[in-house]
Amino acid sequence: MKEKSLSFRIADVLLLAGFLLPFVFGIMLYILLEPASEGIEIAGAKIYFTLHMPMPMQDLPITESQVNSWLVIVALLFLCLFLTHGLSAKHPTRRQHAAEWIVEKTENLVSGNMGDYFSGFAPFVAAIMGLSAFSSLLTLIGLYPPTSDLNVVAGWAVLVFILITYYKMKCGPVHYLKSFGDPVPFLAPLNIISEFATPVSMAFRHYGNVLSGSVISVLVAVGLQGVTHMILGKLPGFLGQFPFLQIGIPAILSIYFDIFSGCLQAFIFAMLTMLYISTGFPEDDYKEKLRKKKSKQN
Amino acid sequence: MQSSEVISINIWQIIISLLNLLILFLIFKKLLFAPVKKVLADRQKLIDDKFDDAEKARQSADEAKKNYEAKLSAADDEAQSIIKTAKAKAQKKSNKIVGSAKEKADDIIRQAKTDAELEKKKAQGDVRHEITEVSALLAEKLLEREINTADHRNYIDSFIDKIGENNDASS
Repeated sequence: MKEKSLSFRIADVLLLAGFLLPFVFGIMLYILLEPASEGIEIAGAKIYFTLHMPMPMQDLPITESQVNSWLVIVALLFLCLFLTHGLSAKHPTRRQHAAEWIVEKTENLVSGNMGDYFSGFAPFVAAIMGLSAFSSLLTLIGLYPPTSDLNVVAGWAVLVFILITYYKMKCGPVHYLKSFGDPVPFLAPLNIISEFATPVSMAFRHYGNVLSGSVISVLVAVGLQGVTHMILGKLPGFLGQFPFLQIGIPAILSIYFDIFSGCLQAFIFAMLTMLYISTGFPEDDYKEKLRKKKSKQN
Repeated sequence: MQSSEVISINIWQIIISLLNLLILFLIFKKLLFAPVKKVLADRQKLIDDKFDDAEKARQSADEAKKNYEAKLSAADDEAQSIIKTAKAKAQKKSNKIVGSAKEKADDIIRQAKTDAELEKKKAQGDVRHEITEVSALLAEKLLEREINTADHRNYIDSFIDKIGENNDASS
């Protein structure tokens, strides 16, 4: 294997720094702007500043969730650049293997779940997984996870809903409207409700899981504090304050709620996206339509 | 610093988040999937080319092998025929040599036989002469007188001849 040039190494280091610096920046922002908290509270994202909109429209508060989302996007952008830096067909590096693994796994997953027609969805599914997982994992470095903000997840769910509807409309609006009267016309109201329930359920499932993880972690921390105080409170001096139950136990919860649940919810959201889009798409009817169009042209 | 509510709906934030996902999708598509897929396609092409090359090389090797085999068998045949003709030639030559040697030997033997015959005859003549001389001398001494040598010799000769005849018959 040939030795890498100095400029290649420098670019490597810069790209890695580009991946890591957003997180450092997030932590700095958190430390600089966060006032020392008074006790434990369960609250939404901190509002950095608010853009005031003309009257009929809502104001736009720029909160931690937006900023952290952007940080994650920038980090992922540099991660992509880092992974694809120095690709070669003949001498793949370990980094290239990782990039190829990501791409191939995602494409297999997508074509396996959605069929070959939707194979172009692989980057979208990878984007959902990456954004969701990295957002949830921000809790590991003490930042506010954007996925525990309903608006963030709702935005993704709305995008998925738009895609579902777009693919359902592929056979024309008449076919789309008819699909609500399936299997019997009087179920149409239920079908409409379930149509709108899809994005709502997706958004609430994801957001609820991440938020509940944070809430339970906070509650357990408070509870453990109380128990420790009860047991050791009578001891004098420093021993009375020693948080011995808070050592270790919250970490186990963190493994479940932050790492496992965060990755699992990312996977679930991606899977549901794939399934809803591909099952909603009337593939047979669409092919029939294409064939008719072709025969008409000929 | 102010916090937003735990559950709050803000249309702008939803739109921002939607656009975030779209942007990340484009980033993944352009910066991760496109280059990696290109590299994979390149590698596939490289492998296909290698396979084609190998196939071509195999075919040419097969052809060369066939050529060599044909040449080899031709050479074998040629060698066989050369050996055959050489053998035949050698056989002929040896026959000739042996024949001439036999003739020569026969000649020599015949010569030797005639030589021996001659020698024998000569020796017989000599012996007869000696005996005749000796017996003549003996008779002269015995009779103490000169006899006609010529008559005597004839007599003895005929006598020896008779003995020789008797000897030949008995043997």
